[in-house]
Amino acid sequence: MTPIRQYVDLLSVQLRSMRDELWFVAILQLALSLGLVLGMGYLIPDVSEVTAMYLVTGTATQAFVTVGLVMLPQNLSQARAQGRMEYFLTLPISREAYLLSLVTVVAVMALPGVAFSLAFGAWHYGFSLSYDPMFLVVMVLAVFSLAGVGVAMAVYIPHQQATNAATQLIIFYVLFFSPVILPSSQLPELLQQTAKAAPPTYAADAVRATITDLPDTSLTKDIAVMGGFAVGSIALSAFAIRRRG
Amino acid sequence: MVLNTGAPPVLSVSDLVKRYRTGTVANDGISFSLHPGEIYGLLGPNGAGKTTLVRQVLGVLRPTAGTITLAGRDVVADPGFARKNVGFLPQGQFDLLTLRVGELIEFSARLRGMDPRSARVRRDELIGQLDLGQFASTSMHAASGGVRRLAGFAAAIAAPARLLVLDEPTNDVDPIRRQLLWNSMGELGEQGATVLLVTHNLAEAERFIDRLAIIDGGRIVREGTPGSLRSLVTDKLRLETAFRGDVSLHPALIAESMAPGRYLFEQRDLSAVSAWLSAAREAGLLADFRIGPPTLDDIYAAVVAPPRELEAAS
Repeated sequence: MTPIRQYVDLLSVQLRSMRDELWFVAILQLALSLGLVLGMGYLIPDVSEVTAMYLVTGTATQAFVTVGLVMLPQNLSQARAQGRMEYFLTLPISREAYLLSLVTVVAVMALPGVAFSLAFGAWHYGFSLSYDPMFLVVMVLAVFSLAGVGVAMAVYIPHQQATNAATQLIIFYVLFFSPVILPSSQLPELLQQTAKAAPPTYAADAVRATITDLPDTSLTKDIAVMGGFAVGSIALSAFAIRRRG
Repeated sequence: MVLNTGAPPVLSVSDLVKRYRTGTVANDGISFSLHPGEIYGLLGPNGAGKTTLVRQVLGVLRPTAGTITLAGRDVVADPGFARKNVGFLPQGQFDLLTLRVGELIEFSARLRGMDPRSARVRRDELIGQLDLGQFASTSMHAASGGVRRLAGFAAAIAAPARLLVLDEPTNDVDPIRRQLLWNSMGELGEQGATVLLVTHNLAEAERFIDRLAIIDGGRIVREGTPGSLRSLVTDKLRLETAFRGDVSLHPALIAESMAPGRYLFEQRDLSAVSAWLSAAREAGLLADFRIGPPTLDDIYAAVVAPPRELEAAS
């Protein structure tokens, strides 16, 4: 059986496994997006068009972060702690196909939040979205880079509680201390430098570059870095689960 | 079943040692072989090293020392060969619990390399064989423990495999379906499948196991056919009792077996024990009793937990 057919079968298994909770995740994503778009607007008086664009594109990126860097590592870490993940490892399947199927599910789960954030945010703040065909590439890379790092967290952090704590910190970091919702210039120098090592920075930058009129000169770099995070994290995770204790 | 002890072993484990980084030695020089068509039982208390052994056979854990060969191939060097050729039913949860029963069987077959059409045919065949028809569309999550176990068994045997590793397959399964499961395993044996069976259900397994190993403290402490192991206690009889009050036990009851109210005694003490039982019954202290030959349970208890003197029972 080819790895591609394995990937398709595994993806089908993952989606079927989640069908009972997909509606819940979708509602949660919509609520989070709605809350962020509206709530941040209350925090910031006189939201300018530029600020609104940051807010809206940052919220869309946050939807990927919630699923890829929070839900996925939490679920996977729990599966690993309970020994459920090992069942897959006893099957004659490609490790990469297994990990990619997990990451693809993240895309499906994040999609409602991303689409809603962009459409509702643009309408609410009264600006129009522009559409660059590269947006689709950016979406795919955003998912794969963030969820890839999420998988690596679940695989490398030894304890489930530690993984859960790390995911909580990530939420705080992305919301308030990284240039995802806020422009980089509003952050202190230290955080501007730290942000260069964080994959959500590049995802948010790239989303902004392909869906708004904000000036951006770094799309190529964003795409390259996201690709690096995606390939690197999946390869590191596959290496870890291939290792046999 | 078709036992072929002359043929090369399907699975051969030799001097297997697994020492974890913590220093715990979970397997300490284990050696055994499984012949084609053989059902080989692996018995032992919790923490004996059974799961560690199984994980190494499955190729998900690397041994510290020793060899494991499957159909002549070194699976320590080539764990992928083990994954392709071993069907596995884990003891605990596994990550397909939210699939429906029919889907679990079908996708297990597909992920083990069967084409979609053959996988569907096999799914329907197993659903019929194990009487799972009414549960085919039930989510594994919502199914009873027994149905879940049976579906897991079906998933493990869905695709052809050189070796089946089944960890407690009959746990929680109702008596009727349990028989179907054993029948199905018997049929697999007839077809030449080789089974490594981890179990605690000794009485039941005794009827189906060809050979067994009792594992304790990371070592095989006894190995043989159920008959040969029974010879360890041939000079003894088993007594099962249900007392109504405090009773001073007869001094001839030298060993307590696994379950409460079960004892072993020497055959030569049969008359004395019978007289003691009659007296207890006449005094209204004994509700029921049964005397019989020792079972695998008793052998297991004698090997893993050595007999101890008894004081009193109620």
